[in-house]
Amino acid sequence: MRFLRHDLHSLSGAYALDALEPGAEQDRFVRHLSRCQSCASEVRGFREVATAMAFAAAAEPPAELRGRVLAAAARTRQVPPEVITHARPRRSRARVPWVPWLSGVVATASIVVAVLFGFAQAHTKDELNQVKAENQAISLLLSAPQAKLLTHEVTNGGVATVVLAADRHELAVVTTGLPALPSGKVYQLWLIGKPKIVSAGLLPPAKDGRTPAVLATGVVKGDTLGLTVEPAGGSAQPTTTPILALPLPV
Amino acid sequence: MNPNDSDASRFKSATTDRRGERDLDLLLVHVARGDTEAFEAVYDRLVGPVYGVIRRVLRDPSQSEEVAQEVLLEVWRTAARFDPAVGGAATWVMTIAHRRAIDRIRSTTAAAGREHKTAEIHTPHDEVAEAVEASLDRERVRRCLDGLTDVQRQAITLAYYGGHSYRQVSDLLKVTLGAIKTRIRDGLIRMRDCLGVS
Repeated sequence: MRFLRHDLHSLSGAYALDALEPGAEQDRFVRHLSRCQSCASEVRGFREVATAMAFAAAAEPPAELRGRVLAAAARTRQVPPEVITHARPRRSRARVPWVPWLSGVVATASIVVAVLFGFAQAHTKDELNQVKAENQAISLLLSAPQAKLLTHEVTNGGVATVVLAADRHELAVVTTGLPALPSGKVYQLWLIGKPKIVSAGLLPPAKDGRTPAVLATGVVKGDTLGLTVEPAGGSAQPTTTPILALPLPV
Repeated sequence: MNPNDSDASRFKSATTDRRGERDLDLLLVHVARGDTEAFEAVYDRLVGPVYGVIRRVLRDPSQSEEVAQEVLLEVWRTAARFDPAVGGAATWVMTIAHRRAIDRIRSTTAAAGREHKTAEIHTPHDEVAEAVEASLDRERVRRCLDGLTDVQRQAITLAYYGGHSYRQVSDLLKVTLGAIKTRIRDGLIRMRDCLGVS
């Protein structure tokens, strides 16, 4: 069946209410949506109407649900940010190392090297997929127009290099020249905010004095990036004095 | 992680703001980095509408509870994919919730339930009035639904709350397919303006 453009447009309401049946018609509309900005913004508005309707239908759930959901969350691994969907069409990833805003080409190169290093270190398929996902996330972060490059010395030796994309709430960290730690100790990154401190992950073991890039999401205004030495496996909250405290210009 | 008072009050103030979309957006950013307290705050704020809309569509309480759990877990799991540039956090979550409910209907296609629902056509107002808790949202939505033509209101309620496809709505209301999709769209445009959605 052929649809006139107008017919396709008029499906925006049914689509926003999930009232299109799976099949050719829905596929056609979804394709159309990716090309039609006014349709996409119309669908967004309709979804807000639907949200108001959901709030109007609010009902008290059984009390046990809360415990079950929280327990299930505690044993469910979260997915890394998806980066393909909102890739900026006019910026190709291949151009990443040459983006002009970067003053420290060397520092950028070190992040790119660190990312590649991650590939070399991945042994299993899962690990490789993980590295790929992180690599994409970091590439995207590097190409974010407002990304800032920060470097800072670490108190007992070495340098941390940070690419911060404040608008995306993300940063990537690589380090060079950190002193090797005795076994049973790790370096752990923190996002230190006014009311609370959140782990931003452990630094992977260094190779040739350089640690692979770590991506941290959820950076908010007022956060300071911290680095501490912690027992293997990391801590829930820092247990030693930070050897790096870099305020993040978010 | 060790919850303390300042954390609790911080999240509380984020949740008590009625349509504090931006606070909710921020909470989700925290959820994306594994913050369980933020997740609890998101849960407390959104479980009512999540469960409510799923139950409205599915009717069966135990299935609704199951789907609500799936939805909330998906929020936890995929919080990193939430993009504030595309829409608010509440809308992101409600879209997942409604879609999951529809998926459940389509996978079970319980014919019995369908029959039962044709009775609703004449009482779309009750669909809204049924809501457990009086709220500003409910009042606003009711008022805006009242401003629609009968066919617009019935089509939108049957599709969203009833979980019917627009093809089914067209059968139920004995209105042509072309007319139904136009009614739904026109109705939503009116609702959008009435609710003051940008």
